[in-house]
Amino acid sequence: MKLNRFVDSDNEEPLTADASLAVIEAERDRVAKRVTFNPAVMSGIWAVAWFVGFGCAYLAYGSDRVIPAWLGPTVAATFLVAAVVVSMLYAARINSGISGPSRTSAAMYGWSWMLGFACLTAVNIVLANRDLSSATITLLWSASSLLLVGVLQLAGGAIWRDWTQFAIGVWMMICATGAVLAGVPGNFLVQALAGGGGFAVLALYFVAQRRRA
Amino acid sequence: MTDEKMRATAVPELDPVIHAQARLRVMVALAALGADEQVTFPRLRQLLDMTAGNLSIHLRKLEEAEYVEIVKTHQRRTPVTLVMLTASGRVAFDRYVTAVRSLLPEPT
Repeated sequence: MKLNRFVDSDNEEPLTADASLAVIEAERDRVAKRVTFNPAVMSGIWAVAWFVGFGCAYLAYGSDRVIPAWLGPTVAATFLVAAVVVSMLYAARINSGISGPSRTSAAMYGWSWMLGFACLTAVNIVLANRDLSSATITLLWSASSLLLVGVLQLAGGAIWRDWTQFAIGVWMMICATGAVLAGVPGNFLVQALAGGGGFAVLALYFVAQRRRA
Repeated sequence: MTDEKMRATAVPELDPVIHAQARLRVMVALAALGADEQVTFPRLRQLLDMTAGNLSIHLRKLEEAEYVEIVKTHQRRTPVTLVMLTASGRVAFDRYVTAVRSLLPEPT
């Protein structure tokens, strides 16, 4: 019977109005979840990655460290790489087989993050091989990452005409300055709490926005 | 209201093109996309968990009613079938949903 369920509804008993409404409501939610990009998921992933990753980097730094020194960079790298992979898989799954102008904008925006951070990584690795102190290299990574995240949030705000996302972008750029002023290892704390917190606020905002819709 | 009574009152007023479980599901899925978005046939088939033959039959009926537009094109030399709701399809679907709701008592 299950196999025949949707085979040819024209031969089936006519739908009652309440059965029809049940189909509409169940299918609408099920399909929407699979085809609609939820920005809260993306911001949530990055909130966790930054909070845990840079939080561990902070806890593993210096002589009074709380966790083993090797654990900090290892956890940070693992969470950031995982966040990239999960973000890509999520976007690919939602957008698979669906096209349209707004999907093109969203895909180009996604690639802006990928290309921006690929280029930032290349520049920072080259600079790190110059005569920079390890503290300066650490601050370079913190500030440039926060600055790029901020600029990309400004761009996201511009694309979707969303002042909250724009404001989070401004906040991230302020944090970039804050990270440099804080010095090592305070910069890790700025990234974990202010940077990760920025992503978390954005995620909560997107959740609230969808509830209202 | 008994089922029989409901059927007697419900069926004649509802758009017969949409008022069949499989086509209703197709319409709901297409309406979940943005107005300017289109979906490939395989992704739609996967979203609805229907067989290709079955989905084709229902899409043809929706296309005949001009509720759905089907475009056969090529992407990197691979043939692709794109499906989208037409403006009149979206209007018909909204009207159908309104009609179904009007047949049911207000939720308490």
